[in-house]
Amino acid sequence: MAASSEEFGAAWKIIETSFSSSKKLDPAPPVISPLGLQSAVELLINHGIGHIIEEWFLEVMNADLQQRIAPNFLAYFSSSVPEDEIGNFMSKVIAELYDNLSAYIPKLGQLDEISMCISLPTPSSMDGLNTVLYNEKKSRQPAMERAQSIFKAMLLPQYQIPESLYANVQKFYSLTMRVHHTTDEADIKANNEDRDDECIRCTGCCCDTDNCQCQTLLHIFHQVNQQLYELGLLERFAGEAVTSVIHEKIQDYVQHTCKGNFESSYLSCLETWLETKVVGWLSEVYRGSEGCERYNDPNTATSVEAYKSRLYYLLYETYTVVRIDQLFNIIIEYPESEPAIVDLRCCLEKTNLRSQLVTSLKTALETRLLHPGVNTADILTAYISGIRALRVLDPTGVILELVCEPVRKYLRTRDDTVRCIVSSLTDDSSSDLADELVRGEPLLLDDSCQGEEDMANWETWYPDPVDADPTKTSKSRRSSDIISMLVNIYGSKELFVNEYRTLLADRILSQFNYDTEKEIRYLELLKLRFGEAQLHYCEVMLKDVADSKRINSLIHNGELQGHQSMDIPVNAMILSAQFWPTFREDKLELPAGIKSSLDAYTKNFETLKGNRTLCWKPHLGLVSLEIELKDRKVHISCSPVHATIIMHFQEKSKWTVDELSVIMHVPVSVLRHKMAFWQSQGLLKEESADTFILIEEGKGGRHDIHMIDIEEETESAMASSHDQREEELQVFWSYIVGMLTNLETLPLEKIHTMLKVFAMQGPSTGECSIQELKHFLDRKVKEQHLIYAGGVYRLPKPGS
Amino acid sequence: MKVTVKSWTAVATWRWVANDDNCGICRMAFDGCCPDCKIPGDDCPLVWGQCSHCFHIHCIMKWLNSQQVHQQCPMCRQEWKFKE
Ligand SMILES: [Zn+2]
Ligand SMILES: [Zn+2]
Ligand SMILES: [Zn+2]
Repeated sequence: MAASSEEFGAAWKIIETSFSSSKKLDPAPPVISPLGLQSAVELLINHGIGHIIEEWFLEVMNADLQQRIAPNFLAYFSSSVPEDEIGNFMSKVIAELYDNLSAYIPKLGQLDEISMCISLPTPSSMDGLNTVLYNEKKSRQPAMERAQSIFKAMLLPQYQIPESLYANVQKFYSLTMRVHHTTDEADIKANNEDRDDECIRCTGCCCDTDNCQCQTLLHIFHQVNQQLYELGLLERFAGEAVTSVIHEKIQDYVQHTCKGNFESSYLSCLETWLETKVVGWLSEVYRGSEGCERYNDPNTATSVEAYKSRLYYLLYETYTVVRIDQLFNIIIEYPESEPAIVDLRCCLEKTNLRSQLVTSLKTALETRLLHPGVNTADILTAYISGIRALRVLDPTGVILELVCEPVRKYLRTRDDTVRCIVSSLTDDSSSDLADELVRGEPLLLDDSCQGEEDMANWETWYPDPVDADPTKTSKSRRSSDIISMLVNIYGSKELFVNEYRTLLADRILSQFNYDTEKEIRYLELLKLRFGEAQLHYCEVMLKDVADSKRINSLIHNGELQGHQSMDIPVNAMILSAQFWPTFREDKLELPAGIKSSLDAYTKNFETLKGNRTLCWKPHLGLVSLEIELKDRKVHISCSPVHATIIMHFQEKSKWTVDELSVIMHVPVSVLRHKMAFWQSQGLLKEESADTFILIEEGKGGRHDIHMIDIEEETESAMASSHDQREEELQVFWSYIVGMLTNLETLPLEKIHTMLKVFAMQGPSTGECSIQELKHFLDRKVKEQHLIYAGGVYRLPKPGS
Repeated sequence: MKVTVKSWTAVATWRWVANDDNCGICRMAFDGCCPDCKIPGDDCPLVWGQCSHCFHIHCIMKWLNSQQVHQQCPMCRQEWKFKE
């Protein structure tokens, strides 16, 4: 039953009129009876061309979008809209778009109904062509979806959204988010908050409070979102802007909230904030407020959930980055900063920023700590804080190991590291290390725990993280205490013990305090750490002090047989030379009166301890003087050299440095330096170069008694470590001479290797770097003990 | 000007008045102590023989105990007699 072309023409006319949506073109469309439309559609369907209705309709819609709707829509966004107009602007633009497009929407449902009526060929009677059609129809998209794809493509083509449109959209969401937050907090803020200033502005909309636009803006916000949602454009239109607004907000909020404060934990309050403020707002964008139709759409709910988990990740990441940036300061402030460390530990588990943390902290340590401007004690303090803080941050100890290796390496290059560690170990005021010492754990050195994983604890064992150094056992990483870690910077107990010995010697010989109770306590604690044997020398030193005290009182009570009286009250510190570090051997000729008193003391000592005698170290000691001048009396404690100088000024009031040098047996250069002390006390004046005179009368003519302590830089009584090093190198020299006698010529590297094998075994001689060796050998060449030619060293021919 | 020394704290090392630095038996310094001792001085004193050789008391005692027949000075092989 074929239809005539007239019949088709009439039917199409009906369909065209009925589906035409453009009010503008056809202001008063003729009324089509539903029955008429139905038969028209049936005619087309029966002739197998039913599908062209939908194609035609979408084509018409497409053309309308392309020619009219899209250009108008995009034209609105050609320029930047000011913030105070963005709400109304957006409301108007989206409402217009909505009006335009919603004219098409009711028809789309009808199209779906029509396509339902297009009967499918029965599967049994299918030939090849029909199968294709069948599959096409079966997988048919609803017309609404097809229309929405067209909307998107025409209005907001992916990757081609103009920058100005995006900027305006972002402005809109940024403003509405702020309004949302403000209205949320309005009831809280209304009461307190010092905002009764002259210019009162709403923190949300930035308008005067009596002209607050917040409610209007919120209304617009919901309306715009709803309309975009219905058109299927919400995600494309708002998604990127919303994301960027949220990211910015999170950055801002995290930065502001926890800026510079490490003493409280922020993680849970940040989470609460994210959940209530950010996720709440996000949910209002995508789901609307509770009660509206799309709120219950499971698809929207799911996508908000997925979005939410990304936001949490972002929050943790942002917070972690902030804390990583501050980590150096956080470490310095440990343990007060422990909450920040604990937060960071949680965040590291949720993010992937471990290696960034390691890199960043390494750099921070290098730029802020490991340079010549920072003194060793401060580096050590930071290192100790670092050990403690990073242990909390990462109980496996791996981060600590990675980050602190450069610090250890650097500390090894500083001369005074050991001295700093030892002195703070036994210093009352710096509690950190002293506390550690009091805990009294035995020293755990790196080599002592290799391969000794404790099988008893296998149940609590956990694997090392992937960035761990496989050559270290996890036990050594986890359990070594801070003192052990410090000692391990050098890897040698001897070095520490020797340094302690020098320090103790200096302390005894600068303070001359015979009360050794405190030192004995430290020594006992150190013995727990370093072992009895290592500290035996120090024990003898302290015993010397106690013995000296007893001998002094025995000699002074005068009950000794044949007691020799002394003109000057001499106390002695009598040392067992073999057990003390090497002394500086400075010469000093003491005044006759002092010498005779010392001799008398020696006689008394010899009486007391048969077969033993004393060798005085004249330059060491502490002298207490009372100096009576014409107009004043001064009490001064000073060194024997200083005392000797001023005593010579009793004989005559004018001395040249040369004269003093001759009678005191002290080099001129040293004397000049010592004179400065008396100049600073106002007793001597340099009349002309190297000639000093006594100042009998002070200018002020004061008669009060001065108590003055020596404030000179305290000079060590011990031979400097440089001198000791020199001695060690002399030991190497005998080996080198031996090698060259046997092998005649050797290059530098070979000498170094051989020394390593034969001479560098002892703990005290220790290492000698190849640079140091070269330096030493060069000096020997200069001194003509060695010849260097053709890249090898050899000994000069005897007799040449 | 008049300078009065209220006190002079001086530093000295002690040593044995002996004609050698080291003990002929243990080769250790006299001012140190014998290998069995920890503390020098009163706790590990020296003794002199009539031959005028001297040793750590602990060293010579050990030496004499190890000599079954003749008690000789290990340095000069004269008969060992403690100097009064
Ligand atoms: Zn001996
Ligand atoms: Zn002994
Ligand atoms: Zn003898």
